Amino acid sequence: MHWKVFALCIVPICIVFISLCLGSTGFLSLSDLFRYTYAALAHCLGQDVTMQDTNMETILWQVRLPRVLLTFMVGAALAVAGGVLQAVFRNPIVDPFSLGISSGAAFGAALSMLISLIPLNLSAFMFGIIAVLITYLVSRGGTRGSLVTMVLAGMIISGVFTAFLTVLQYLSDPYKLQAIVQWTMGNLHTASWHKVQQAIFPITLGLTIIIAFRWKLNLLSLGEQEALAVGVNPKIIKLIMVGAATMITASSVAAVGMISLFGLIVPHISRMVFGPSNSIGVLANVSIGGSFLLVIDNFSRTLLPFEIPIGVFTMMLGTPLFIYLMRKNAINWNG
Amino acid sequence: MQAIELKDIIFSYGKELVLDKLCASFYKGEMGVVLGRNGSGKSTLFHILTGIQRDYGGTLRVNGHDRRRIQKGSKDSLRIGFMNQFHQTTFPFSVFDVVLTGRASFSRFGPSKADRDQVRAVLESFGLLPYKDKPYTELSGGERQLVLLCRVLVQDPDIILLDEPTNHLDLHYQIAVLDNLKKLVDNGKTVICIMHDPNLAFQYGDRFFVMGDGKLRSLDSTTNDHKREVLEQAYQVDLQSVVVQDKLVLIPKSKLSM
Repeated sequence: MHWKVFALCIVPICIVFISLCLGSTGFLSLSDLFRYTYAALAHCLGQDVTMQDTNMETILWQVRLPRVLLTFMVGAALAVAGGVLQAVFRNPIVDPFSLGISSGAAFGAALSMLISLIPLNLSAFMFGIIAVLITYLVSRGGTRGSLVTMVLAGMIISGVFTAFLTVLQYLSDPYKLQAIVQWTMGNLHTASWHKVQQAIFPITLGLTIIIAFRWKLNLLSLGEQEALAVGVNPKIIKLIMVGAATMITASSVAAVGMISLFGLIVPHISRMVFGPSNSIGVLANVSIGGSFLLVIDNFSRTLLPFEIPIGVFTMMLGTPLFIYLMRKNAINWNG
Repeated sequence: MQAIELKDIIFSYGKELVLDKLCASFYKGEMGVVLGRNGSGKSTLFHILTGIQRDYGGTLRVNGHDRRRIQKGSKDSLRIGFMNQFHQTTFPFSVFDVVLTGRASFSRFGPSKADRDQVRAVLESFGLLPYKDKPYTELSGGERQLVLLCRVLVQDPDIILLDEPTNHLDLHYQIAVLDNLKKLVDNGKTVICIMHDPNLAFQYGDRFFVMGDGKLRSLDSTTNDHKREVLEQAYQVDLQSVVVQDKLVLIPKSKLSM
């Protein structure tokens, strides 16, 4: 177990360094990267160490570093959000996407891009919350909500918000239309320090809350009555967890758009490696989620002469997993 | 001292009256047993006692406090643990992790070493320590039930409510469970069990009730013959009574002529 925990810390750091070396303007060797890092650190301390290639320096600090940081944050956020939602709703096939949070947040973000009444982050969060609330209420209405109804409700709500988004796209001018369309496919290439600044606060806050209460996810995933049975009111902790998960999802969507199914894939990988307990699972989701999205992004940047939108990549990876889970009967349909 | 006092409890599903002005008292440091036929309203009563079902009429007091007003999760509140009949889970948590969740009301964040020790001790007392790393989802129905019981006990509850704690269990574990409950009762805990087997009930219980017509009928301070008659009526079966070591044993008679 110890080497696994060790790997959780080391692997992301290595992948961050490798990702910094890759890019369309050329590959850096690790030793070059360290020289640039050294120069930058020296610069911060007031010493002037001049590098030969100032272009590369700019690309490294203004293009690659913010992109790598943002990608890691978003990957960690989506993976953790997926893991939390799977635990809270006791359902291994839910994720921010299938519960409608992503679509709701994307609509909110697009709306704010079109009519800037409220800040983009806030608008994305609000509509993300609205979407997950409607999903929850629809699936609970009438008879006792089963897991199937929840996924179906999520699909419908997701569809409704996608439809609204289409209306917005129809109404917007070509420039904004292009931005919105790129959004829906995931657009990590627009990463900037500004976006990092916008996303870092809500994502760090949400992750901190979830990490602090992560053990209680085990309790929640046994069911509401089992929580009451040992004297815990599950409602409050459920609310905190779903709220935090929605916040980090919405912030991710606001920063880089929709990255479909990523939040579904990673928790399964974490469980395969570290077992089902959320005590370690949440931390694993941070590490694996961040690293894995960086790896996928590295492929999408370098595989072809042009960039493949990352949302396309994750959808292609997620679909077979979803089908596998359905076939394997890993889903407890009645709980 | 009264641990639980039920007064004029009324409950209905739609138009069907399930509990009709039910009155009963359960006392502290005793094992109270509720017998009765399937569908007689035992589980409904259980859900009212546990606080899951709140839409009832009448008053239910636990240690003198209105049940509806007892806050869950506050540290100084009375701890009421209960175990449901059915449970399934999606994720293959280890036995240890499942039992550990029973300590959730004790810590704001993660479990402490003391919590883990407590879990170990409870698992040990049922001989389940070798199972601690086994996935809960791979256990048999009876083993799961034991694990859930451990989970309830690990929170050290003052009042323990159990809905058929011995179904699914083989004879060995039935006795293990009831012995453990008896020990808890001897240590001052209050246990209320819904049970199917009157003989096991008479062997371990202190106070007996039979559910029927929406009411609880007390079997205390009655003669053995009277107990037999009440149970014959409740279960619609002829019974033969034997007394073994001061305990009443009832043997059902087949309705076929043999």
